[in-house]
Amino acid sequence: MLPLLIVTAAAVVVMLAISIKRSHLLAVWLTLVGLAAAFFSLWIVAPLTPIQVTPLLIVDGYALFYMGLILAATFVTVILAYGYLENQSGYREELYVLILVAALGSVVLVASSHFVSFFLGLEVLSVALYAMSAYLCARKPPLEAGLKYLVLAAASAAFLLFGMALVYAQLGTMQFGQIAAMLSGGACYSKALLLPGIALIITGIGFKLAVVPFHMWTPDVYEGAPAPVTAFIATVSKGAMVALLLRYFYETGMQHLGSVFLVFSIIAIASMIAGNLLALFQNNVKRILAYSSIAHLGYVLVAFLAGGTRAAEAVTFYLVAYFITTLGAFGVVSVLSNGERDADVLDDYRGLFWRRPVLAGIFTLMLLSLAGIPLTAGFVGKFFLVAAGASSALWGLIFTLIVTSVIGLFYYLRILVALYAPPAETGEAAPAGGLPALSRGGSYVLAALSVLLVWVGVYPAPILDAVQRAVSTLRLF
Amino acid sequence: MVLWPFVVFFVIVLIIPVGMLLLSHVLGQRHNEHATGSPYESGIVSEGSANVRFSVKFYLTAMFFVIFDLEAVFIFSWAVAVREVGWAGYIEILIFTAILVATLVYLWRLGALDWSPKQRGERS
Amino acid sequence: MILVWLIVILLVAGVLAGFAGRVNTLWPRVISLVAVSIDFVLSLILWSENSSRVQLFPQRKWIEQVDWTWIPRFGIHFHLAMDGLSLLLIVLTFLLGIMSVLISWKEIQKGVGFFHFNLMWILAGILGVFLAVDLFLFYFAWELMLVPMYFLIAIWGHERRIYAAVKFFLFTQLSGLLMLIAILTLYFTHHRETGVYSFEYKDLLGTVLTPHTAMLVMLGFFVAFAVKLPMFPFHTWLPDAHTEAPTAGSVILAGLLLKTGAYGMLRFVVPLFPDAAHAFAPVAMTLAVIGIVYGAVLAFGQTDLKRLVAYTSVSHLGFVLLGIFAWNELALQGALIGMIAHGISTGALFMLVGGLQERTHTREMDRLKGLWATVPVMSGTMLFFALASIGLPGLGDFVGEFLTLLGTYRVSIGLTLVAAIGILISTLYALKVIQRALHGPNTHEWSIPDLGARELLIMIPMMLILLWLGLYPQPVLRTFEPAMHKLQEYAKPHPVLTLNPSVRALSYNGRLPEIKGK
Repeated sequence: MLPLLIVTAAAVVVMLAISIKRSHLLAVWLTLVGLAAAFFSLWIVAPLTPIQVTPLLIVDGYALFYMGLILAATFVTVILAYGYLENQSGYREELYVLILVAALGSVVLVASSHFVSFFLGLEVLSVALYAMSAYLCARKPPLEAGLKYLVLAAASAAFLLFGMALVYAQLGTMQFGQIAAMLSGGACYSKALLLPGIALIITGIGFKLAVVPFHMWTPDVYEGAPAPVTAFIATVSKGAMVALLLRYFYETGMQHLGSVFLVFSIIAIASMIAGNLLALFQNNVKRILAYSSIAHLGYVLVAFLAGGTRAAEAVTFYLVAYFITTLGAFGVVSVLSNGERDADVLDDYRGLFWRRPVLAGIFTLMLLSLAGIPLTAGFVGKFFLVAAGASSALWGLIFTLIVTSVIGLFYYLRILVALYAPPAETGEAAPAGGLPALSRGGSYVLAALSVLLVWVGVYPAPILDAVQRAVSTLRLF
Repeated sequence: MVLWPFVVFFVIVLIIPVGMLLLSHVLGQRHNEHATGSPYESGIVSEGSANVRFSVKFYLTAMFFVIFDLEAVFIFSWAVAVREVGWAGYIEILIFTAILVATLVYLWRLGALDWSPKQRGERS
Repeated sequence: MILVWLIVILLVAGVLAGFAGRVNTLWPRVISLVAVSIDFVLSLILWSENSSRVQLFPQRKWIEQVDWTWIPRFGIHFHLAMDGLSLLLIVLTFLLGIMSVLISWKEIQKGVGFFHFNLMWILAGILGVFLAVDLFLFYFAWELMLVPMYFLIAIWGHERRIYAAVKFFLFTQLSGLLMLIAILTLYFTHHRETGVYSFEYKDLLGTVLTPHTAMLVMLGFFVAFAVKLPMFPFHTWLPDAHTEAPTAGSVILAGLLLKTGAYGMLRFVVPLFPDAAHAFAPVAMTLAVIGIVYGAVLAFGQTDLKRLVAYTSVSHLGFVLLGIFAWNELALQGALIGMIAHGISTGALFMLVGGLQERTHTREMDRLKGLWATVPVMSGTMLFFALASIGLPGLGDFVGEFLTLLGTYRVSIGLTLVAAIGILISTLYALKVIQRALHGPNTHEWSIPDLGARELLIMIPMMLILLWLGLYPQPVLRTFEPAMHKLQEYAKPHPVLTLNPSVRALSYNGRLPEIKGK
């Protein structure tokens, strides 16, 4: 419980600090300290687990692992946001309050064992995200992104709530554990309400995960939102949802229902195909990454469908790799962005290698990791996903994964080609006085992420151990 | 699995509005006269545009009402069960109120409570 | 441990060269040259030390090995091991590595540091492929060498480099992923049979698959290696990649990357799936022969010198594939010598063509008339390697092709006949090169410098090696012999299988000791 309280307190403290003295640096430091304190409190809490805190929350090794992941990712986002917002005018400090609140929502989600906390966490996360996407309200794209996200997320939340109501109406309980007992106990229940309920819940979850056919908002929001916020949406928000998905479906055993399996298979295949194909036609790096994230969630679902401990491990490990990679990729975008607009057009990256070799190298690493090339975390992650799928003999899904990831390779290569294209000799001359300096914090974070990426890619055993211990506390149905 | 009542239900739900719209489209009368497009066809002729810009302060006030007044609901629900929840509940509601106060302090310092725009302009 | 050092030296040198490139353009070259030379010397020492030892201890599994636990959860080991086959290919790798660094000395002037970084990492990846006996590690290295190669083509290549690089990457990546599925199927099947998670080559050798599954899994491996090799229907990436790559890239592609495909066939496809491979051999050999003839005919039809050389690779590697699937002693020896000789002769041809392009800025044969008078040494060298490439007796390629044909003759007379016709056509394209590009009047009035000292330093050792391979290939064959016998032993056709798993296990003497009981 301690980490949640610390994050909450941090949000209040930062807010009060802003009201007393408006200072960008102070707000950032307070946020970082709060996040770090929450992160290290995980170790204080760890010996006490698993504990059930009220019927709503369960704090077990699994929840702690994901909390750590979320807090670390939030930490990175905050540092990126600091460098990004330094170039902006207007109020900057409130973003950190919002980020903390969003992190709180995610942390609640991963520890949720009840529909109420599920919904509570989701809404706390979503409401903060609306404001975050539209944070730079002087520009048009963020406003559009915020509005779109608000409308669609509200609609999906309504679906989710209705679905929960239907399941509750049928089973008379909202606790995951009791649902599992009802489903397995052969209790007399009809599926007439249960299945529509589950379907509506899947809609709500699918929206947050941005899987086809609930993906429409993704490219616009990714493109419009400020780059650090996009990084946050792509990682923390999705990661928390995947954590919940695993817990919810694995602990209740719902993924064994034939129709649920079928629906998720269709969603996975559609996401992999649509995400990768649509990304081919984009010229905006943020949109490409948006579509690629759709495809990646499709990959995750393949392992999710495999079921069992190893599948849960594969999904969790993949998320770790995906977090590192995505934060890195959007980190590069946000480091390169200036006060007027985000560096998101492919042309912004043309010949980057000849101007900023290290930054281009980092971006290359991130892209290669997304493409699943060795030496990067993405490779090991994808390997585990395929292994999980193969162990359950999901050949159709695996072949889709393989074929679509080769298609995916094509657009990652497009970005790479642009990165290493010869610098434009003619055209606009290089800005006088050299290149603008990059934010120091952002550079350190990117360097750290790259090191981590390669480390996980080369020697994944420690992370895998941690994942294994975390997943072992999940009560698989 | 008994699905068919739902199917019937959904079909009826579809049929009723679509049917009403279609019926009124087919059977309804149509006329296009001088005042058809105006808001009060039979009353006073409206004046000016509907797109009046209200001062943003009205929205702010409305929002503050939503934020602070609705929180009272939680305090009411605590008040009902004050004996059952005991000291733990008391502390919880204290924290809750403290966060509300913190929000109020924030809004006050932000200048959101100042009514006159002049002062706010100075502050920001 | 020395195996790890071989790889680490390259990786570290690559990083150092990358950073040194920011200082000046000389340091990266020197660092790379020194690193590859050290590795070359080390590999030669290994060879000379072991040339007697492999003979003395035929029962030894590997000459050298390193085995570290890597990812215990999945039974993955960092297991490098070397037998005669790997040893020979490693020596070839370092030899061509040195040549690639030297040949790029003048050609590459842009992004020198990053170029050498890529070069070193490709070599490290290739080394990993030749040494890995853990299938996960093998796949890791297999994929790892693609990325630097992609950069090599995409940044320093010629006009259509992006297209060629992307095509190369997509072809190899897709086939690689098919191999990944095959590896995983094998892995899980092995787990079901024994309860042990292992990617270890030796463990997986005994895996019993139903004939149907074995065929599918074998095809997964086969396609991956066939694309790399390249076998006839999968070869279309090769002319583009070879033509557009910078000279060092072409040399490494032709000399080493293609060999990884052949190596995979030898090491994995046949020993892991003897029955399936045996059943599939007629198809593979037919495709190989088609490749021989088709590659030669297409080479004859080219006007672009570099493309011509590229197509000859298709033809030559057809012989290697033919030899591998004929799978008798002679044919295997032929395939091995063919691999090494092709690496050297084709590598040298690419260097010469690259040198010509550097001087004349064209690769079109029609524009290169009458060079003999201007650059006699270069032309003479080219003639030498062209003749080597068509299999002139006394040079390495001849031994390879001759042994392959002898071995194949025992398996199929018809295929041998067609393959021999392929050799005939190869004389046509070689003559075409000589006539069109070198002979005749110097109508375009080229006056270009002849081979310099650096280039001679590259060419002369390669000529000598080809001569040595052609006249006295015995040391190479002797090193290869124990490894070959091991491979042949693994690939003995399995006893007839029944579907009952316990019977299956029992009928499997020696492969499953824990069931057999001691």
